[in-house]
Amino acid sequence: GDDNIDVGIDKEVEVVRKRKQAPKLDAELLLSANGIPKLRRISKERLRFKGKGHEYSDISRLLNMYQLWLDELYPRAKFLDGITMIEKAGHTKRMQVMRKEWINESKPKAPGEEDMER
Amino acid sequence: AAHGPETVDPVVRAHVYSLVSAIGGSGGEDDGRYVLGDDALACLRDIRRWLRLYDDKRQRLDVARCLAEANLVKGDLLEILASWPEDATEDHMRSKLAQACLEILVPITYPYNIEEENFKRNHHKHLNYLQLAQLGYKRDIIHHDGQILRAAVRIALPCMATPCRDRTPRDEGLIRFVLYFIRNVAEIAPPKNAVYDGDEAEVSRSSVIDALQNQDVFPFLLTIAANVKGDFPTQDVLVLEILFHMLKGVDPEQLFLEEEKLASKHTDELSDLIQKEKAMLASQARDAPSRHSRFGTMVWLQRDNGNMSTIFGQDGISSQDKAIRKMDSTKRWNKPKYRPRNVEEPGANDFDTKVTLSQSVRKYLHDFINEFLDSSFNPLFIHIRKAIESEADRVLGEHSRQYFYLVSWFLQAECLRRQSATQRAAAKGKQCAGKTPDSSPNDDNSFALVAGVLNQESFIALSRFMQRSMDDKAWQDLNAGMRCFTRVLLTVQEMADSPNEDDQEIAENIQNRIFYEGMTHDRMLALLRGYKYQGFGYLDSVTELAHVFLRLLERYSKQNVDMQVRIRSRARKKKRQSIPNNEDGDQEIEGDAEETRQAAERTSRERKFDFTRFATRFTNEDSVNTFVSLAKAYADLSSEQLKRAHRFFYRVAFKNELSVLLFRVDILHLFHKMIRGPGGLDPDMPGFKEWEELVRNVFRKVVKKLPDRPELVIEMLFKKIPGTVFYLEHGHDKAAMTR
Repeated sequence: GDDNIDVGIDKEVEVVRKRKQAPKLDAELLLSANGIPKLRRISKERLRFKGKGHEYSDISRLLNMYQLWLDELYPRAKFLDGITMIEKAGHTKRMQVMRKEWINESKPKAPGEEDMER
Repeated sequence: AAHGPETVDPVVRAHVYSLVSAIGGSGGEDDGRYVLGDDALACLRDIRRWLRLYDDKRQRLDVARCLAEANLVKGDLLEILASWPEDATEDHMRSKLAQACLEILVPITYPYNIEEENFKRNHHKHLNYLQLAQLGYKRDIIHHDGQILRAAVRIALPCMATPCRDRTPRDEGLIRFVLYFIRNVAEIAPPKNAVYDGDEAEVSRSSVIDALQNQDVFPFLLTIAANVKGDFPTQDVLVLEILFHMLKGVDPEQLFLEEEKLASKHTDELSDLIQKEKAMLASQARDAPSRHSRFGTMVWLQRDNGNMSTIFGQDGISSQDKAIRKMDSTKRWNKPKYRPRNVEEPGANDFDTKVTLSQSVRKYLHDFINEFLDSSFNPLFIHIRKAIESEADRVLGEHSRQYFYLVSWFLQAECLRRQSATQRAAAKGKQCAGKTPDSSPNDDNSFALVAGVLNQESFIALSRFMQRSMDDKAWQDLNAGMRCFTRVLLTVQEMADSPNEDDQEIAENIQNRIFYEGMTHDRMLALLRGYKYQGFGYLDSVTELAHVFLRLLERYSKQNVDMQVRIRSRARKKKRQSIPNNEDGDQEIEGDAEETRQAAERTSRERKFDFTRFATRFTNEDSVNTFVSLAKAYADLSSEQLKRAHRFFYRVAFKNELSVLLFRVDILHLFHKMIRGPGGLDPDMPGFKEWEELVRNVFRKVVKKLPDRPELVIEMLFKKIPGTVFYLEHGHDKAAMTR
């Protein structure tokens, strides 16, 4: 009889593959080792300006630094697209907190001020 | 009803066709002249009835489609109108026929402005066809030998001759019909989504104005406009519409520059363009490969972690910059662009698209505008403003926009006219010094010709209109309002510079009133900050207004050192606070009186105006973004627009000491590209030096500051956090300074 057979063995099992999600250029990626921490490092190591009379080539070098950094962080996007995406990611709470911290780090501290903030 | 491949119900079609063929026709007899059918008038009236009872009532467009296919307009209506003899004033039958023709012509040339949500099946079926057919009507009407527009005007003349109070509703209706007809002819334009296969020049603006001139329509319009108060109180908005569709997109400079100057301007333009193209080609050639396309170069770019990037092609070989640029351009992925929905498609009300006129037409229009300004501008525009304010039934939504656009247009025209008149007078004075000066039409009092839009009521209407369209997000309306306000400011400035003392005094008064309102200042701030995706025309207006407003305000506040500004918003807050105090009831009448006195004082609270403070508020990050959007279009900007952007950035960086607002990677990238290319500004362009200087100075600041403040490297990626701007700029906190 038919009553105990149909357990679905004959049916083809459809495997629904999920589309691979493209990585996102978000706060998480920016705060990872390859993100802004790396940018801080290389800017200190590598950025040497020639100064007066060489403004255009200096800025060109600066822009190239950003571009190569961004290419390694997020190779998918063109430079200006990537910059726009980073700018947008900067509006998140987390990024804002981190940015303030970075700024504060470089401030010359008045004595005792650090304890007050923490 | 029949279903199937038929576009229109065959029964309807048969009815309409039989009516059309019964109107009349031209045959071999009578030398091919047009001969009326026996019952022509009744047929015309039947067709009118079909249009009204079948098309209009059921929103179908079927009859209109049949009429277009049956060639009714060219075949019958225009023939009948053309054969209406000029001397047949007493022929009752002929004028009835002409009226009947007009009554069909107006509805079938009426522009289809149907909201998308009201589209029915039939609209999709017929609309494209009908819009093209209307274009054909327009061509036939303005190019017909029989002076159709003139005939239409003649229909209205007897009605216009009767005084306003003796006119029957039918008389009024006929005058209005004639105006509608002219409006329709002026408004019809090639639809954007369909291809017109005729000659575009035949339906261009020039040909319309040419026809209006040659068929004596201008005097008709002037008569109505000048007597709008007494004899034609309800026809005002129709004249407004005709003027709008005639003048939208026309640059007044075209009309009021002297002919030789215009010619030299044109040759300058040509040589400018050639120069521009040369510069463009030169900058392309700089990057072009010097060998053939299969030369097969491959370049490695050494990266810091020992990796290599591979770049193909010769353009990457000469410098690192080029290699990196090439690497970027070969990336495939593009960030999806945001396309806003609520931005209006520029349709018939578009005034941002420039229109050029032929030389003869420029002359006609120049004469017409001259006469219009002298006789009709004030009466018409005052009348319409009052109609808009009282929300009269005949006033529609788009009329305010058209009104303010035209105000700005005519103010500019009047300024140009004055300029050319004074130049001409100066030239004449040189030629024949000592002779008696001619009484020129433009004496010092000619600001009076546009005074109707420079009074307090107009300013209130304008600022209310701007505020409302801002609140409603009606950007195109706002665009018109901003243009108008810019023009008002410039006109008043010109008045203040006039040698006439009365003019100066009036201008002083007006400026005082404009700048006195704190609301106006706040609105300017909000406008400039609020730009986002509204399109280039809007961007142009908003930046021009900001530029002009700030410049004139600066000048005015320098001249009037203790300038006062009225602020409202804070007054209300305080008033509310004091209400519970009053409810305690302890202080009785005395306290009450005290309270109201204070309230009255507060609602009109004044504050001394501080320009530096205002300018600092004006140069914030959002307004920087607005001007960056403008600068991004640098390749298409005029030198005047580029100058505007230059002044703003200069103010930001050096006058207001907010250069950190420009410390952003995208802005630096843009600046670098503008000056050094590829595809940058033309180095021979006037103003290029200034730009180069500005950009160099901004770059110098960046280079100076970066080594001291490493956090800037990060912050250059982002919009700044408001609280940190001062520190980033100066390297210490505000509080630290006072300590």
